[in-house]
Amino acid sequence: MQLTLRIALIILTLIYLFYIFKSIKNKKIQISFSIFWVFTAFILIIAIAIPNLIQNISNFLGFTLTTNMIFCVTIFIAFYLIFNLTTILSKENKKNVNLIQEISILKKRVEDLEKKQEEK
Amino acid sequence: MKVLLIIPAYNEEENILRVCRTIEEYSKEIDYIVVNDGSKDNTLKILEENNLKHINLINNLGIGGAVQTGYKYAYENNYDIAIQFDGDGQHDVRYLADICEPILNNKANMVIGTRYLDKSASEFQSTFMRRLGGNIISFFIKKCTKKKITDPTSGFRAADKKIIEEFAKEYPTEYPEPESTTCMLCKGYKITEVPVNMNERIGGQSSIRLLKTADYMIKVCLAIIIDTTNLKKKKVK
Repeated sequence: MQLTLRIALIILTLIYLFYIFKSIKNKKIQISFSIFWVFTAFILIIAIAIPNLIQNISNFLGFTLTTNMIFCVTIFIAFYLIFNLTTILSKENKKNVNLIQEISILKKRVEDLEKKQEEK
Repeated sequence: MKVLLIIPAYNEEENILRVCRTIEEYSKEIDYIVVNDGSKDNTLKILEENNLKHINLINNLGIGGAVQTGYKYAYENNYDIAIQFDGDGQHDVRYLADICEPILNNKANMVIGTRYLDKSASEFQSTFMRRLGGNIISFFIKKCTKKKITDPTSGFRAADKKIIEEFAKEYPTEYPEPESTTCMLCKGYKITEVPVNMNERIGGQSSIRLLKTADYMIKVCLAIIIDTTNLKKKKVK
């Protein structure tokens, strides 16, 4: 890998990392969710700083091309992430349904009580 | 004996008033509660103007969520029997006594009003596609729970106190009727069926459309299989 490319990539990764920290600071994402993203940034930095490392791992595992391994790993992580999001979404959906039901029942009770008071 | 009719209503401005009036005429002792599931038409206006007892959901939840709201209401207000009753005039109030009877005699925890049982001289036996769908679902339920439910998609059902509590806590909101039936069977509750007569819809549109049937079938069958494997361990005495 050429030096200029590596410097450019490192700068890009640093911007990425900076953006993540900014989002955490502004409370745009919860800390528990952010750890994953910080982690990816660090892996990127390591991979750029030591290019042979990734190559050696891929050779060791038996991939014909290093890019194959990278694609493979990224796709797996992406699938895992999407699946995780679906789980979170389902959970939130359930809570939401519960909230709507409870509020609606409460509203009815309040209205009934108000009617009773007026009658008195 | 406190009995509550749960009437889920979504865009039922043409039917809802008539349905409530027939219930009021039928018996003064039976309470009813209309659950307005975020209707876009004048359903809410009709409910308020005519002073019909109703809960107005602040967002649309779909039939399952609306019915569960009714069960929660029944649970909080200590009702002994809760009966699901459609807001579109499909169900006949004359069968209310029939559907309550097995619960009153302690013969069942839950009673399903069935269209297909031979005894009932139903004019409306529903379309061929629907019957086929019902048969497939009932086949799956039989394979999974060893019990025969002839009409698993029927929305005319009565539940006793224990079932009300179960439904108030946990109700499958996506495919409500067949899935909840399976869950209750797996938990060891007794379910019986009584023949009822259902009228053809007078106005409005049915919530199950033909095109979606195949998709619905696959998901329901999957849900039934998952529920049985999940629940077989946790049986109630």
